[in-house]
Amino acid sequence: MTPSLSRPTLATESPGIVLEMQAVHAAYHGDISVLNGVDLKIRKGLITGVIGPNGAGKSTALKTMYGFLKPSHGEVRLKGQRVNGVAPSKMVAQGLAFVPQNRSLFNDLTVEDNLRLGCWTFRKDTGRVQAALERVYEQFPILRQRHRQRAGTMSGGQQRFLELARALVLEPEIIMLDEPTAMIAPKVSRELYEFIQELPSHGITVVLVDQNVRQCVAVSDHLYVLDLGATRADGSADAFGSDEALRTMIQEWLDYQID
Amino acid sequence: MNEVLLLQGLVGGIVFGAIYALIGASLNVMVGVLRVINFAHGEFILAGSFFAYAMLMGLGLNPLYAVAPVAVLFFLAGYGAYFVLIPRLQRSDEPETSSFLLMFGVSLMMIAVLTWIFEADIRPVNFSFDPINVTLLVVEDAYGPGRDGRVIVPTARIVALAVNALMIIALTWFLYRTLTGKAMRAAIMNRDAVQIVGIDVHHLSATAFGLATAIAGVTGVLLAMVVPSVDPNGGPPLALVGFVVIVLGGLGHPVGALLAGVLFGVVEQVATVMLPQAAAQMLGFVILIAVIFFRPSGILGLAVSR
Repeated sequence: MTPSLSRPTLATESPGIVLEMQAVHAAYHGDISVLNGVDLKIRKGLITGVIGPNGAGKSTALKTMYGFLKPSHGEVRLKGQRVNGVAPSKMVAQGLAFVPQNRSLFNDLTVEDNLRLGCWTFRKDTGRVQAALERVYEQFPILRQRHRQRAGTMSGGQQRFLELARALVLEPEIIMLDEPTAMIAPKVSRELYEFIQELPSHGITVVLVDQNVRQCVAVSDHLYVLDLGATRADGSADAFGSDEALRTMIQEWLDYQID
Repeated sequence: MNEVLLLQGLVGGIVFGAIYALIGASLNVMVGVLRVINFAHGEFILAGSFFAYAMLMGLGLNPLYAVAPVAVLFFLAGYGAYFVLIPRLQRSDEPETSSFLLMFGVSLMMIAVLTWIFEADIRPVNFSFDPINVTLLVVEDAYGPGRDGRVIVPTARIVALAVNALMIIALTWFLYRTLTGKAMRAAIMNRDAVQIVGIDVHHLSATAFGLATAIAGVTGVLLAMVVPSVDPNGGPPLALVGFVVIVLGGLGHPVGALLAGVLFGVVEQVATVMLPQAAAQMLGFVILIAVIFFRPSGILGLAVSR
């Protein structure tokens, strides 16, 4: 491991940390252990990237933070509050939005109905719903054009933007993106990254899980490396910036897999 | 003479088809939103029939008066039953298989309770409207010169069909025009994703369970008007019709179930008057197998992502 990468410190009270996992263990159906001690600190207003080889537990870490999976040990804290096992539907109201890796659209509903369901938590406030729709239509003109089209009939890239838009109608404080550019054309992928990079300037904290290490390093302010369900390293993006560090890291992953 | 019989079969087919449509639609909501293979659906329907029967015997009220109380009480019972029965299934590795076994148990239990209260006999439901029958059509000289044929329908069936049609319109409006209805359809399309938009999946599922139970109960009331008798062992064939209809119409496709129900009813009733009885009973299932072979995602042909 390169010297510039350090294990996270345990200063839990440090200001600016909006979401964190501390020594989290979690398992599917009680027996398939996937996380064995994950430490993550998500800093307000930054893009935090989470990288690691296949099966490292990156997606599971996000799902656990979001409440789809309850930690067996350790703590998940959102804005200082312990949220272990709090239902996903409650996290939304706390300002946490999630765009999972698998497609999460309602394919047979229209673009607009997908967005309206995104406004579910404040559905009775029709003024706010209208304003939220108007706002995302400004951001994504293609969605306004296609608002009556069935979501499932749009291209992969457009569906990704719709998922992003549906998360943004909530005006979240934090958005978690799991592999946002998987299976998407390179040109659209670049647009998506440009958009993601803009989010902090709108006051939105970003957690980004990505297989594409190079891209993830390029857009992130802070990075975590997960492997075998545990945090192996973390550091500022600059520390990961040199290609040498990247190569060392990838070499280490390969070594693990050969072991 | 064939003309009169054919018309009679067609009218009967529409009456029964509308009932099958309701059975399919309510079962589809349950299977689609909750992933619960409700083997007890037939008994949910029977419970509605017996409720109407009890109101008739106890209070002397026409079964039509049972529609509103059954709708309300069955919704509340279904909403509550969800929390007792279903959430623990989700901890299982195979929730659908477990749900099938669980609901099979519920089905046996309900048959036992109905038999215990009402005894095992088939009971007539004696009520009538004034007039008892309505002549829809007179076919002149249908049976030879001077012998007209009449297409006659019991008034109770016409009333049941009217209530049924209102239910179908209301259900379709709810599922396609209200945000809660769209949320239910969204849960059919992608159950995990409804949680990330902030929908309380337990409340939504319990509402769906209550809705399906209420529709099943009202279907039972209508069935007691159409076939004026009640039988504690009559549930399994009704559940079977429900499953046939949702396979025909497309799983998770409520409007498909409505069309398929009417189709199945018309084919069954017309075949009953036109073909030998055994062949008539077979025909509906021949259609089922044909649909599975040639249009596995249902007659509307819309695949539903799961």
